[in-house]
Amino acid sequence: MSEPAVTIRFDGNGRTYRPGETLAGEYRFESLPAAEVKAVEVSVLWFTEGKGDEDMAVHAFWRLNAEDGTTLDPSQPQHFNTVLPNSPLSYEGLIVKLRWCVRVRAFLHRNKELFGQKTFRLGDVPAVKALP
Amino acid sequence: MNADGVENPFCTRRIRPGAMPFLFSGDASAETLVARLRANNWRGQIVGPHGSGKSALLAALIPAVERAGQQVLSLELHDGQRALPHDFWRGPQLASCTLLIVDGYEQLGRWACFRLRRFCRRPRLCRAGFQPDQDELETRPTGLLVTAHAPVGLPELCRTAADLDLACRLVSQLQRDHQMLVTAQDVVERFPRHGGNLRELLFDLYDLYERRQRAN
Repeated sequence: MSEPAVTIRFDGNGRTYRPGETLAGEYRFESLPAAEVKAVEVSVLWFTEGKGDEDMAVHAFWRLNAEDGTTLDPSQPQHFNTVLPNSPLSYEGLIVKLRWCVRVRAFLHRNKELFGQKTFRLGDVPAVKALP
Repeated sequence: MNADGVENPFCTRRIRPGAMPFLFSGDASAETLVARLRANNWRGQIVGPHGSGKSALLAALIPAVERAGQQVLSLELHDGQRALPHDFWRGPQLASCTLLIVDGYEQLGRWACFRLRRFCRRPRLCRAGFQPDQDELETRPTGLLVTAHAPVGLPELCRTAADLDLACRLVSQLQRDHQMLVTAQDVVERFPRHGGNLRELLFDLYDLYERRQRAN
């Protein structure tokens, strides 16, 4: 049996979005028995990455709890959509980068977790070029 | 990792203490150090220069210390922080902790050090034994584990020092799932420039990796 995994897909296979545009897509779990899943969290967020302190903020968040009586069938694709904000825009700098992503976390029994993430671009700020 | 290229393996997220397994030298392990700490009545100091891995070692020890049944309260002090946070003495976590960990102990002023040590020496009611499921209570002092750049009068748990071999192993490990854009030769050339400060070396290698990645 293969390892459990999360697959995230954006509608239209889009990876660059304009501010105010709707980000829509779906996620699904593979090789994950329904009885194992206690809760699933889906976030649309941005984070910084680079040499300095890191920052992040969540733009949209959904949590599905099996304990609340919600039926969680990991094999079925689950849809998400949100209207993206005007900022911050994705940025590919030398010492800091700002990335947007959809992050899916499944909380399993015995304190285990399954995690998946797919990045996308918000805006069209060109990557910074290093001076020679 | 990203929508444009790949993640820089020397970014903060990957090099911060606890982000990757600590590379112990010789026969040392988290368990052997915790056993030594226990033998010293949960009092100890980790001594080493800037960027030599003190905080990384602490991050590796904390899970092992917790597995040994200790309730840990961890404080990270920054440059010039002479006093403990205002709410420290009244916090509920302090009341339940059995081992206080202070990263950057030498930042504290004399009065704060004195007060902290007096607090730790005073016997308090806590769980007997070291198994998390033991309910029996006993009174004993609170443990104190600190990091500092020079000895501060506690039993020495470990001395950290970076050498070229450790730097090469670290760089190799960081690039394990990435394109190897930084070579061992790069590390050999750059290590002496940073006077044994691994943190500074890794920041330097971040820039080098970034330049080479963009040049490809």
